[in-house]
Amino acid sequence: MARTRREFVRDLGLSAAAMPFLLNLPSLGFANQAKRKQRIVFMFSPNGVVPKTFWPDEEGAKFTLKESLKPLEPFQNKTLILNGVCDRVRGDGDAHMRGMGCLLTGIELHPGNVQGGSDTPAGWAKGHSIDQEIKNHLQKDATTKTRFGSLEFGVMVPERADTWTRWVYTAGNKPVAPIDDPYQMFNKLYGRTKDKAALASILDDLTGDLKKVGGAVSAADKKLLDEHAAFVRAMEKDLKETKETVGHAVPKLEPGVKKDNDNIPKISKTQIDLMVNAFAADFTRVASLQYTNSVGMARMKWLDIAEGHHELSHEPDNNDKAQEKLTKINKWFAEQLAYMAKRLAETPEPGGSGSLLDNTLIVWTNELGKGNSHTLDNIPFVMVGGGLDFKMGRSLKYSKQPHNKLLMSFAHAFGNNIKDFGNPAFCAGGALTGLV
Amino acid sequence: MRPHTLPLVCALGLLAAGSAHAQTGEAIYKDQCARCHGAAGEGTKKAPAPLVGDRSVPQLATVIDRTMPEDDPDKLDAAGSKKVAQYIFDTFYSPQAQARIKPPRVELSHLTIRQYRNAVADVIGSFRFPPKADPTQQGLRGDYFNSRGFQNDKRLIQRTDGEVNFDFKVGAPDGTQPVKVEPSKKDDKKEPPKKDAVPPKKDEPKKEPEKKEPAKFDPHQFSIRWEGSVVAPETGLYEFVVKTDQALRLWVNDNKKPLIDAWVKSGTDTEFRGSLFLLAGRPYPVRLEFSKAKQGVDDSKNKPPPPPKNAFISLHWKRPKGTLEVIPARHLTPVKFPEVAVIESPFPPDDRSLGWERGTSISKEWESATTDGAIEAAAYVLTRLPELAGAQDGAKDRDAKLKAFCLKFAERAFRRPLADDEKKLFIDRQFEGAGTDLDLAVKRVLLFVLKSPRFLYPDAGNLPENYAVAGKLALTLWDSFPDTPLLDAAAKGQLTNRAEVAKQAERMMADPRAKAKLREFLFTWLKLDQSPDLSKDEKRFPGFDAAVTADLRTSLELFLDDVVWNDGDFRKLLLADDLYVNGRLAKFYGINLPPDAGFTKVKFEADKRSGVVTHPYLLAVLAYNAETSPIHRGVFVARGLLGISIRPPKDAFTPLAADLHPKLTTRERVLLQTKPAACAGCHSVMNPLGFALENFDAVGKFRGTENGKPVDAVGSYDTRAGATAKFTGAKELGKFLAASPEVADAFTERLFHHYVKQPVMAYGLTKPDELVKTFSENGYNVRKLVVDIAVTTATVKTPPK
Repeated sequence: MARTRREFVRDLGLSAAAMPFLLNLPSLGFANQAKRKQRIVFMFSPNGVVPKTFWPDEEGAKFTLKESLKPLEPFQNKTLILNGVCDRVRGDGDAHMRGMGCLLTGIELHPGNVQGGSDTPAGWAKGHSIDQEIKNHLQKDATTKTRFGSLEFGVMVPERADTWTRWVYTAGNKPVAPIDDPYQMFNKLYGRTKDKAALASILDDLTGDLKKVGGAVSAADKKLLDEHAAFVRAMEKDLKETKETVGHAVPKLEPGVKKDNDNIPKISKTQIDLMVNAFAADFTRVASLQYTNSVGMARMKWLDIAEGHHELSHEPDNNDKAQEKLTKINKWFAEQLAYMAKRLAETPEPGGSGSLLDNTLIVWTNELGKGNSHTLDNIPFVMVGGGLDFKMGRSLKYSKQPHNKLLMSFAHAFGNNIKDFGNPAFCAGGALTGLV
Repeated sequence: MRPHTLPLVCALGLLAAGSAHAQTGEAIYKDQCARCHGAAGEGTKKAPAPLVGDRSVPQLATVIDRTMPEDDPDKLDAAGSKKVAQYIFDTFYSPQAQARIKPPRVELSHLTIRQYRNAVADVIGSFRFPPKADPTQQGLRGDYFNSRGFQNDKRLIQRTDGEVNFDFKVGAPDGTQPVKVEPSKKDDKKEPPKKDAVPPKKDEPKKEPEKKEPAKFDPHQFSIRWEGSVVAPETGLYEFVVKTDQALRLWVNDNKKPLIDAWVKSGTDTEFRGSLFLLAGRPYPVRLEFSKAKQGVDDSKNKPPPPPKNAFISLHWKRPKGTLEVIPARHLTPVKFPEVAVIESPFPPDDRSLGWERGTSISKEWESATTDGAIEAAAYVLTRLPELAGAQDGAKDRDAKLKAFCLKFAERAFRRPLADDEKKLFIDRQFEGAGTDLDLAVKRVLLFVLKSPRFLYPDAGNLPENYAVAGKLALTLWDSFPDTPLLDAAAKGQLTNRAEVAKQAERMMADPRAKAKLREFLFTWLKLDQSPDLSKDEKRFPGFDAAVTADLRTSLELFLDDVVWNDGDFRKLLLADDLYVNGRLAKFYGINLPPDAGFTKVKFEADKRSGVVTHPYLLAVLAYNAETSPIHRGVFVARGLLGISIRPPKDAFTPLAADLHPKLTTRERVLLQTKPAACAGCHSVMNPLGFALENFDAVGKFRGTENGKPVDAVGSYDTRAGATAKFTGAKELGKFLAASPEVADAFTERLFHHYVKQPVMAYGLTKPDELVKTFSENGYNVRKLVVDIAVTTATVKTPPK
């Protein structure tokens, strides 16, 4: 905590503040860019899907989006759906815990004290997650380094840190808490801009005050205050020169939106807007967006669904009502994905060509394949966007491919040619083929 | 011979003109000295160093008689030398004479770093309300629950634990072991968990639920919560470490966000760390939660319990200059204090060119640090507005509450009520400027107030007399701003009365902030405020490791605290024959104590030891890796205690290596090396002071012989009064120092400068003498000296310009 606040303030430091902004200004930063920018977003929703309303029947470029994925129709030619990718990691923890903790890490959980609904108790994952791998790769290189490296967004993530609520890890045993409060995220992104504005607004009054106080002390003492006033004027000049460096208008948030189940749609939209802005300003090239948590309990009353998501997901396949509701829930998540894709598509790539979406890949995934069986087979991987040069507009069906291979593919697409990721036993044969 | 007199020594001789007998000192000086030393002792090309220093008239006279004029020292006899000495002393040489020539003044100063951090903490802290606390209570309150969570109806024990350091093994926290222990296992016999597991006081455990028989702990599943506060003895980065094989969470100075969250036990780690910057002399709220149980889904009802596993927990810290230790009870209190706003933004170091921190110069970095500090403080406040301002989000009265908050904040930061035009400027204008964004309004007020010279320069704002007194008093005693009782006294106009001011000062001396400042001073006085390197030759001194040196520092700290806060007599610092030791130190120094004993005061070599000068920490600091250093020890006594200014040598010298002179003692080697005339001037002063401590080796152990020869601990000192003091060994040296007016003078002046951060003679040329006089009349009571200085400087009307 101590460090965080110190870093926070150091980030706010005025002279230091100007640099990353300046570097990322289109006019200065992108002049001789050899490579295009690449971005990746991992989006999580919980409790599995309804296979019959989710997976397209066809394979290849000609396929029909079923009810759960209907919202993606405007982006169908930019969509890639992978069936048959499985989370093969076993060991301690129940399926929800492993589904979450191993989803981006591809490695077992430590033995621990968190007991799930079945199986043995477990702790945190033993390794870092793929988004952090990609972040580290990008941050190593000055041409791809960004102010934050990665941003972890959340929507209604419970206030408890455990294996069900964390999927991003900087290292084994080091989970990252997503920021699910848009105001907090706003402060992280724009806090110093706002602080500078507030500071600038009081400088006239401060200069006047210095003059007044300086007039009331002895001549010998006044020298010190005159010196002080000169430094304040220098700061004022610095502030003026570094104005408007974000590259876009600082977004305005609707005030007073509380962290509350019924506000999930509002929070979701705000977080996506902030993420798109952060990409436009090149604050980061890696992001994640976590809806609730593994075993998430959202009650989607705005869809006229009174039950909690997790309890519904346990209903058997023959409960048509439940299947219908679960389909609606997943369709709602698909809408969020579509909204993100739309916002990215309508935002031109600063200093480059095309839109943000052309240089971004969104990966939507889930801790389970199917809620009522708790299977880790056929983990949904639905991808939208052109960020990784995958051949989009297809529905692919694999046969029991470990998801570690897919995680490797993400890294490789960034030029980070790792030989394995997570548990090497699931990386045999290298990255997943057929994506490009 | 003293360095200050070197110009006299080195100066070329002057021609005598006339008989010195009939002449005044002034005439002799003009005749025989001025040509080289300048008309007003300012120096010339021949003798460039000005005649300025801290020698006494007799000391000057001796040197002049022996060496001046340089070409013909016989030209000036003893009587003439004395006259000249008196003349130059009175006219320009002495500090008083210098002060007359260039009167020092109380300079406008900004807050030092210490003062800035304390001030912000206390301004924000004024919106929080500490509980009434019994200062003698130590340790943390422990609540023990027969459940994995902390349900009140499952609490079986409530008690105070001095330290958190328990090994429950496979048993319950009340010491009972599981019934089904295999008889073959000898280790698990029924015995208390550990020596530290204090049995609950008889009257303390909560009454058990009626009628049923007393509930028992289930060794599979129990939880404990320790709460209270931790008092930081010094300012700096603290590392908190919890060792446990179970789930834990630790909160320190943030009741919401844990410093360590290991509620999820994962893997085999049993050591968890978190770091935190803390300010000296303040209690910080602490909560430690421990749970021996599986978290997540509770399946204990469905599954047969496996044999219970081990469980232990201990709470440690690493102080800024310390090593890892279980947090001692004396730094813990079961009373839970409010959080403290600790500003961490780095500042450039304060000016210490005169030997004390002061804020009389500024830089761009400093100015920019005040911006960072203001932004950090504003961010801290803005995230806690409901708590600090009572302004709830969305409440109708939020506007009014925040305005009231801002006004009080400004008044606290400026240490006085605001005039109407100031209210308009600092509050109303900022709220108007921010429109409907109330958070922005608060931020503007805070930034403005914390950037204002009225906050940063405590003397600049033309304060009404009562408030000026209050402000100065708090800065002197606490390095912080007035608290509510002090401001109330100012509001009532009581602080124009010296007796009332003294009453306030005495009240304020009981505050931990006053204790922290006095301790900081004492460490500065002993030149131990920086962290010294204490590594020693492992072969010569096996066992003198980081843990021992950290213990030694603690031992010295306990000794200093004990003297100044109990007896209070400054001379005890130089005379006391007791030492604080724990088991580890006792073992190293050959004192009979159990190995796991906590710190206790023991008489130790009472016929040989004498207060700080023989404290092993100091002796070890003032020594080389394997050998002693009489020179360092002598310089410490001369400069540090007697207050003599000694210039550093012109070149850096490496001490003669002991193994190249195997037949010589350290004393002999030092004498050999410092024999040349160029060295002897200063070394004839410091060597004999250091030699008196030769009975103590490089780790402060007593030794009767060195290299097979008996140690020669004879020493001497030519006093300012003109006498030669002789002493053999530390005990006699300590006695001499404790009785020496020079030591008391130097101590008083150092203390003044450390506390007030202005030159003492800015308060009058006789001020040093007046203070020492009162000091001696008060039986050399250190606390009374602090109060005297604080009251005197706070109530001075208009310091002479």
